[in-house]
Amino acid sequence: MESYVTFSGLISQFLVGLSRAMILFIVSSGLSFILGVLRVPNVAHGSLYMIGAFTAHTLAVAAGGGVAGFWLAMVFAPIAVALISLVAERLLFCHLYEREHLMLLLFTFALALILGDLTKITWGADYRSLVAPPFLQGSVPVLGTPFPKYNLFLLAVGPVAAVGLWLFSNKTKIGKIARAAAVDREMVGAIGINVSWVFALAFVLGCFLAGLGGALVSPTVSITLGMDHTIIIEAFLIVTIGGLGNMWGALAGSLIFGISQSIGVLLWPQFAIVFPYLAVVVILTLKPSGLLKSVW
Amino acid sequence: MTRSLILSRSSLWWSAALLTLLLLVPLWGSRFTIYILAVIFVTALLAMSLNLLVGHGGIYQFHHAAFYGVGAYTAGLIAAKTSWPVWIGFCAGPFMAAAAGWVIGLFCVRLTKLYFGMLQISLGSLIWIVALRWYSLTAGDDGIHGIRMPEVLAGSVNIYYFLLAVVTGCVLIMFLIYKSPFGVTLRAIRDNPQRCEAVGINVRQHQLLAIIIGTFFAGVAGVLFVVLEGSIFPDMLFWVLSLEVLIMCLLGGWFTFFGPVVGAAIMVTLRTFVGSVTEYWTMILGIVLILLIFFLPEGIMGINFREWGRRRSRRAAARAAENADAAG
Amino acid sequence: MLLVEDLHKSFEDFTAVDGANLQVRQGDLVAVIGPNGAGKTTLFNLITGHLKADRGRIRFRDQDITRQAAHVICRKGIARSFQIANIFHRLSVFRNVQVSVLAQKKLSRTLFRPAQTLVVEETNRILQSVGLQNKNLDVAGSLSHGDKRILEIAIALGNEPELLILDEPTAGMSPEETASTMELVKRLAREQGLTILFCEHDMDVVFNVATSIMVMQHGRTIIQGTPENVRRNTTVQEAYLGGG
Repeated sequence: MESYVTFSGLISQFLVGLSRAMILFIVSSGLSFILGVLRVPNVAHGSLYMIGAFTAHTLAVAAGGGVAGFWLAMVFAPIAVALISLVAERLLFCHLYEREHLMLLLFTFALALILGDLTKITWGADYRSLVAPPFLQGSVPVLGTPFPKYNLFLLAVGPVAAVGLWLFSNKTKIGKIARAAAVDREMVGAIGINVSWVFALAFVLGCFLAGLGGALVSPTVSITLGMDHTIIIEAFLIVTIGGLGNMWGALAGSLIFGISQSIGVLLWPQFAIVFPYLAVVVILTLKPSGLLKSVW
Repeated sequence: MTRSLILSRSSLWWSAALLTLLLLVPLWGSRFTIYILAVIFVTALLAMSLNLLVGHGGIYQFHHAAFYGVGAYTAGLIAAKTSWPVWIGFCAGPFMAAAAGWVIGLFCVRLTKLYFGMLQISLGSLIWIVALRWYSLTAGDDGIHGIRMPEVLAGSVNIYYFLLAVVTGCVLIMFLIYKSPFGVTLRAIRDNPQRCEAVGINVRQHQLLAIIIGTFFAGVAGVLFVVLEGSIFPDMLFWVLSLEVLIMCLLGGWFTFFGPVVGAAIMVTLRTFVGSVTEYWTMILGIVLILLIFFLPEGIMGINFREWGRRRSRRAAARAAENADAAG
Repeated sequence: MLLVEDLHKSFEDFTAVDGANLQVRQGDLVAVIGPNGAGKTTLFNLITGHLKADRGRIRFRDQDITRQAAHVICRKGIARSFQIANIFHRLSVFRNVQVSVLAQKKLSRTLFRPAQTLVVEETNRILQSVGLQNKNLDVAGSLSHGDKRILEIAIALGNEPELLILDEPTAGMSPEETASTMELVKRLAREQGLTILFCEHDMDVVFNVATSIMVMQHGRTIIQGTPENVRRNTTVQEAYLGGG
């Protein structure tokens, strides 16, 4: 093992962590959004992320691979996931909003169990991997070290998603209503807005982001059953350290999580995965309610 | 009116009959029956320890399995990695679990409800990561199998009686706590924490005490799992198990004392039989869960409880009328 | 007994209490009146420690209790009821009161004694004194609204308070229930030597029952005095009584 850490190695590892953080941000901002508006930790979030990845693979392969297939997968896989969540929401979930949070949590768990097995039935237990389109293959030199093009692509997508989400929740009417519902749902109901549809929209949007994260991550990992289990814990930790329901908190949490892991790879490869968790412990010791203000 | 009997006479008879039946099972039951019952004992204890917190305390303990795992890993690792007597591990398990519960609880009780739950599941997952990643100690994903046992615990019948004895003892202790002033106060906190503060109850302190008790018994369940299976593996502290145990509490009835036992018995039996027919057990579990949420939110014992409550209040009304007559 | 001096409390962009003064002497029946949003409930929450004051002082029996935790203040002898029925819905009426008696006797952490053998007499005596003794086994959530409010007072009595704070004890009650509840309050004050601080919208009730009245407006204390003095005060007449 090399005992010294080079500057360029540090930079490239930092960028890898940053691109990983973008995926984490997209997934956990969806989770955070649902938490903020519906006040439910969506346990099915990981399953939807997994389905997003599998669907992306299927779509890309069905379209014969290539650039068109890739874009098709990136656009329609999240939409497919959003449709699944819309069905689940309108059919079942919307009848439960008056219940205790614990019931809502258990409902999302039931959804996770069912979706997990449906994934197994549909795609089987084999490993899959999606090949990135030619223009995103290979690497470019960044400060003298090669850096994968696809990660650069992720670095571009992340901020776009953040700005998009910010514009949606601050500049559109429906986004403002959703944010108001997060703070005071009685008031939103009182001014004659159909709260049920606001909740549906929030849930579907959050799940869409989970699917988008799954689709975006698919060229970089092997797509397999069980990928839902790790992402959901990471996303839970991220929104907890960031501050529940706070989008910027999700961003901060994702950056801390992704970068501490990639820097950990440099310092202590066998235990790299432990670094983000240590960061979580430190943050929660200092601020048990998260870095940024929770929306409620 | 005498209030010295903790248990009404009929429930006393029912418990005695059930216990006798369970004591006699090894005489005629197959190895398989004995094994399944033993699994139910362990699972039921875990579910009851969780329900003490969630159902009676209103504490959002989302990741209870972490403490089950701590108990099991403590017992298992001491048996596998040291030459100390196995019993030391058995005794240390629950205390380690309670210690972990105390530390995590210290963080969590500063927050309320959902925030508590999110923090709890996050911190519990940290324990899981340690069990998964500290390969040199825990053998990671593989877990440790074939853990040595004291000679007394050789053979499934001996294990069965050992588990039955320990679980009965623990249930008895939990029942006493349930009926104690602390138990009553805990249920009051569940119903209305703000009001509890206003009558001079230190809510956080009580919740922390409840967490220590609950995680202690989760640790006992963990140790019993090691006794039964002779193995430890990281899935024992995975959040999925925590939520499954939560389902058992829901299935049996949150607000009852013995509900989780019923829930655990049904879940273990279902998993054994459905799991042998189809590989899609989790999907069936999910569907059952949705049906429960929609149609039976107070659980199986919850139905009886409501009936019983109605009958009791009617009897009480009759008694009150009699008293009034006598007084007048 | 209780002395509130120049108390202030604001939430983000809204000042709820802006210079409140209050004096309660042993044996008084003090009413706080004022229009909706005058800061009465906030004032009570500040006294009982459910909110922390920004500025000002609260003294109880010559001890400074400003900004102390709710359960600590309760232990010093201040008990309260809430504006909305704030009871333990899933427990029986008996248990509702018992919880508070147990807390008062520092028994609530007892693990291995059956609760049904403890403080039974005390609990029954309180239920008797408020007239709920025949409903002691009912589930609290199933009581009528009026009974829930009475149960609230019973829970507060479990603390053996010296000062009892009642936040609109008759809100939502019928005229008959209101009359009997206020009778109960008066009787408790007389028989158990309680000092009572309450707020109330019904002016007839207030001027009938109270020995001292404090008038609040926009979070500020306008005047505190005997019912006679308050009735004669021109500011109060203009701001409040006259307008009604």
